[in-house]
Amino acid sequence: MAWTVRFLEKIALADIGFEAEGESVEEVFRGATQAVLETMATPSTVSGGWERAIERSDLDPSALLFDWLSEVVYWKDAAGVVYREAPLTLTREGDVWLLHARLIGAPVDYLTQELHADVKGVTKHLYELKQTGGRWKVRVVLDV
Amino acid sequence: MNLNTDMTVNRITDEIWEIPISEKPGMLVPARIYATKGILQAMDSGVFDQVTNVACLPGISRYALCMPDGHWGYGFPIGGVAAFDVQDGVISPGGVGYDINCGMRLIRTDLTLADVQPHLEQLMTELFRKVPAGVGASGFVRLSGEEFGRVMTHGAKWCVERGYGWHRDLVRMEEGGCIEGTDPSSVTDHAIKRGINQLGTLGSGNHYLEVQVVSNERIFDPVTAAALGITGNEQIVVMVHCGSRGFGHQVASDYLKRFEKSMRRYGITVQDQQLACAPFRSPEGQEYFSAMNCAANTAFANRQVITHQIRESFATVFGQSAESLGMELVYDVAHNIAKVERYPEGDLVVHRKGATRAFGPGSPELPEMFRQTGQPVICGGSMESGSYLLVGTDQAVRDTFGSTMHGAGRTMSRAQAKKTIRGAQLQEQMKQRGILVKAVSMSGLAEEAGLAYKNISEVVESVDRAGITKKVAELRPIGNIKG
Repeated sequence: MAWTVRFLEKIALADIGFEAEGESVEEVFRGATQAVLETMATPSTVSGGWERAIERSDLDPSALLFDWLSEVVYWKDAAGVVYREAPLTLTREGDVWLLHARLIGAPVDYLTQELHADVKGVTKHLYELKQTGGRWKVRVVLDV
Repeated sequence: MNLNTDMTVNRITDEIWEIPISEKPGMLVPARIYATKGILQAMDSGVFDQVTNVACLPGISRYALCMPDGHWGYGFPIGGVAAFDVQDGVISPGGVGYDINCGMRLIRTDLTLADVQPHLEQLMTELFRKVPAGVGASGFVRLSGEEFGRVMTHGAKWCVERGYGWHRDLVRMEEGGCIEGTDPSSVTDHAIKRGINQLGTLGSGNHYLEVQVVSNERIFDPVTAAALGITGNEQIVVMVHCGSRGFGHQVASDYLKRFEKSMRRYGITVQDQQLACAPFRSPEGQEYFSAMNCAANTAFANRQVITHQIRESFATVFGQSAESLGMELVYDVAHNIAKVERYPEGDLVVHRKGATRAFGPGSPELPEMFRQTGQPVICGGSMESGSYLLVGTDQAVRDTFGSTMHGAGRTMSRAQAKKTIRGAQLQEQMKQRGILVKAVSMSGLAEEAGLAYKNISEVVESVDRAGITKKVAELRPIGNIKG
């Protein structure tokens, strides 16, 4: 695992903030995705059975990550599911960043799953994807 | 005075504090915070920064306001109120929040604590079964796209037409539970798909359904209380806090994205991306206003379907009809919304984000039944402390665009709260104190511990002394359902 996630305690009191860090943009995507999944439910308590493939592209990796995380939140309500995992790859063709991802999860069941917060949206408040000292980092605030 | 800001904050009265326009480049009006000195000193730095950012938005009128339950949000602070001229001002989804028409509803009963206590476990189990809560929960109402469109345009009226409520409920809701001027074509298919199955669900976070008791000694204004159906003598009431669920959240997300792009075209710059906005009279501004009203109506409908389920649960447990149990609505009020209202400056788009409309007895907008009392204001505390029923005042209409507080307001982040106490431990502690809690998520329960919130009594005192709402009664929890 080449990424880390740290949940932030001092910002946006009613919401949930985190920082994901990794050696590449792809690793930051993985870390931030895992943070969103864990905010909603403990992934190890969720079985499979529901799956959706998602492909997206953008010139701006920051916008692509924002849209992807928003998609993760969207399917939680649209399909009534929480997630076990979301494997993804991020590649670059010329100036365009391409995301290939799968959302894997199961319908919400509070008797068998460890559920947490119902994320309303990914906000742009303090949102920033940047490279510092050779590592990539993103800060995200989720409205819950 | 020690504050979590370097800005100059001037005392206007003991409950009103002002940050002058000289404190931040671009401020068009001063910022005013309603709070006691103690509450002001405890406010986090985000409040001062965000309320002064709001004061920079085009067309803002008089002041950018923050109520005493204010805390760091995104874009606007929670507890924020701002009014913009309809001709040259803006509308901002960040000034409404993701949970459009998140609001409070209070239902009275003729039951007393002595009636309910022996059946409390059964009652809470039945309520927990009938009112789905938590992440991604879906409700029992199944709708076609066309029928969901009628929910968007008719709000709580749709529910009453379908048998999920009584006709007389409607007059006891802000806007009669149905805001006019909606156009479902302003809503994306994405938003519809996200919310179509969620009618009658609570959600999570700080949303809840609470069974409460009203004691005689906690009624501050017996005449007004009686006029609103609150009789005391250990009377049982039920409070609901929730909003427009995934549908409203997606409307907010869709338009924030759209406004980010259109702001460039209108030459608008903002201090925080979450303050993305559009001129109110622009096509984008009008479409958001319409979509937001569609979401507001679904929130009224959501709380109405929940009310139906609450009435059914009480009828099942007590073996009597809800009508014979006296389960009348006290009021339903929004605290995340933007509305066009008339003030001496003219027609203004009043944004309330974590703030409640608080019209006084003199307001012509109120139905006849509230012309003596003023509009009921329902403020939820933490699940451990208590909640309040208040009424609006004519002074609020004069001073704060008819607005007041909405709840206790957080002092601790969710991550901090979870480090301080575990959900199961909190549930047991509350049980020992006579509060039965049913929760979908134990971590979510810990996040909502009373220690993470301000003292609601002190917050209520601030607005009472400032004259922008008046205390009617305090409501003590005995049972709580959390997502």
